[in-house]
Amino acid sequence: MLKEFAELLRYRELLYNLVVRDLKVRYKNSVLGFFWSLLNPLLQVATITIVFKFILKLGVPNYSAYLLCAFLPWTFFQMSVMDSAMSVLFHGDLVKKTYFPREILPASIVLSNLIHFILALGVFFVYLLVIGTPIQVTWLVLPAIVFIQLLLNMGIAFFVSCLNVFYDDVKYMATVILNLFYFALPIMYMVEHVFHSDRIPHSLAVVLYYLNPLSLLLIAYRKILLPPFNTATIHDIPLDYRYLALAALTSFVIFLAGYAFFNSRKWTFAERV
Amino acid sequence: MDAIVIENLHKTFRLSHERHGSLKSLALSFSRRTHDYVHALNGISFTVPEGETLAVVGKNGSGKSTLLSTMARVYKPTSGTVTMNGRVSALLALGAGFHTELTGIENVYLNGSILGMSRREIDKCFNQIVSFAELEEFIDAPLRTYSSGMVMRLGFSVAIQVRPDILLVDEVLAVGDEQFQRKCYEKVRELQSEGKTILFVSHDLKAVSDVATRAMWLDSGEIRADGDVQTVLGKYVENTTAGDESPAAPAL
Repeated sequence: MLKEFAELLRYRELLYNLVVRDLKVRYKNSVLGFFWSLLNPLLQVATITIVFKFILKLGVPNYSAYLLCAFLPWTFFQMSVMDSAMSVLFHGDLVKKTYFPREILPASIVLSNLIHFILALGVFFVYLLVIGTPIQVTWLVLPAIVFIQLLLNMGIAFFVSCLNVFYDDVKYMATVILNLFYFALPIMYMVEHVFHSDRIPHSLAVVLYYLNPLSLLLIAYRKILLPPFNTATIHDIPLDYRYLALAALTSFVIFLAGYAFFNSRKWTFAERV
Repeated sequence: MDAIVIENLHKTFRLSHERHGSLKSLALSFSRRTHDYVHALNGISFTVPEGETLAVVGKNGSGKSTLLSTMARVYKPTSGTVTMNGRVSALLALGAGFHTELTGIENVYLNGSILGMSRREIDKCFNQIVSFAELEEFIDAPLRTYSSGMVMRLGFSVAIQVRPDILLVDEVLAVGDEQFQRKCYEKVRELQSEGKTILFVSHDLKAVSDVATRAMWLDSGEIRADGDVQTVLGKYVENTTAGDESPAAPAL
């Protein structure tokens, strides 16, 4: 695997060029161009604020900030998986006619989504300052969490992009699973809601929400970026950094497993696309 | 020294008449899983000394492109070894990775990096690429505004700037109008005089006898003849025309 990685490093310029191409082409013929990347999260902020402030009237101050804080990394995950599923098939002509480390295809997709995510985070920070969220010292942990999520996204992208070359079902399966995850993961609600529910056993909640790296990461984004979430009935549960360490380890293992899986099959792609 | 050493190379493709496009069809066929195999290359061995220009001829489906693709590392050999001593540039298709929405400039850099060139190398020969393609006026326009001939010319100009020790070419020399083709062949001669090793596949027998210093005839994944250009071409032509008129050939 180290040899594969060294070869990938040799081709870093191609990786860079493909990321740039992806970013350039996406908005090439649009008037607003790159601003679409910013406009999307801005419109999400506006819509979510209206829904939760004026329609649902939860009465929780800045609920939309808590929502967005998990929604943005969720979008990063979702787009990475969906886009990378088609990455090898989409570049079939390249795969059939040229030599280059195949992992560049899904990797460039995940990296260009990372850039969109970072832009969206920038908008999110402006929003936080506008609504007067106090600056937290834990903001310093953010790069580490983004990096852990990058590993996780890459690992899943390797599996999905590789399998999708052989089975079209993978793309559809991914759509179904992502739709389920959208509600199963603490995006629209807080993890505190789960632990305060009398219908879900504590141990089950720990397994589903803390041991699952994606869920734990979404929780971690909230905990480090926003002040504790407290209402009349719900009390904040602080982030247990041991679970974060575990999520980092799991993500790293998924990354390595995905890379190994991809590498073991990548030279048969040219015969299949 | 030998630039290319091929030893007992086999390449077998699994032929699926109907690709397992879904898990369901895979599951259904698990019990009675039979495969047809296509033996595209059947134990090919040859060496190419440095500085030689080897032309590979043969009918469609004789394994020429598979041989080139395996040497270009697009396919892994089923068995046998491929040793390439030096930097390899493979022109199996022109303009790999070209995107119609990007400008000529952006595509040159993208295509160059796919062919394994660094940004600095492309910077150095960028003007040569543009002038060779005769696209000075259009290079900052998006590729979708180009004619197909212009796209091919640009693809060829980038490809020819990769300074390889070994150049693999799959029928991409017949690009553009007559004048541009003449330029292409001049470029090939220039590479020859620099002592580069060239291996090319062509159906254009005139080009083969003009450019090659050695020829090889592939048939059904095996070498039928190898050596002097005129001798090999003679055998090849004799066989193909004889085959057409052969009374033993099944009537269609």
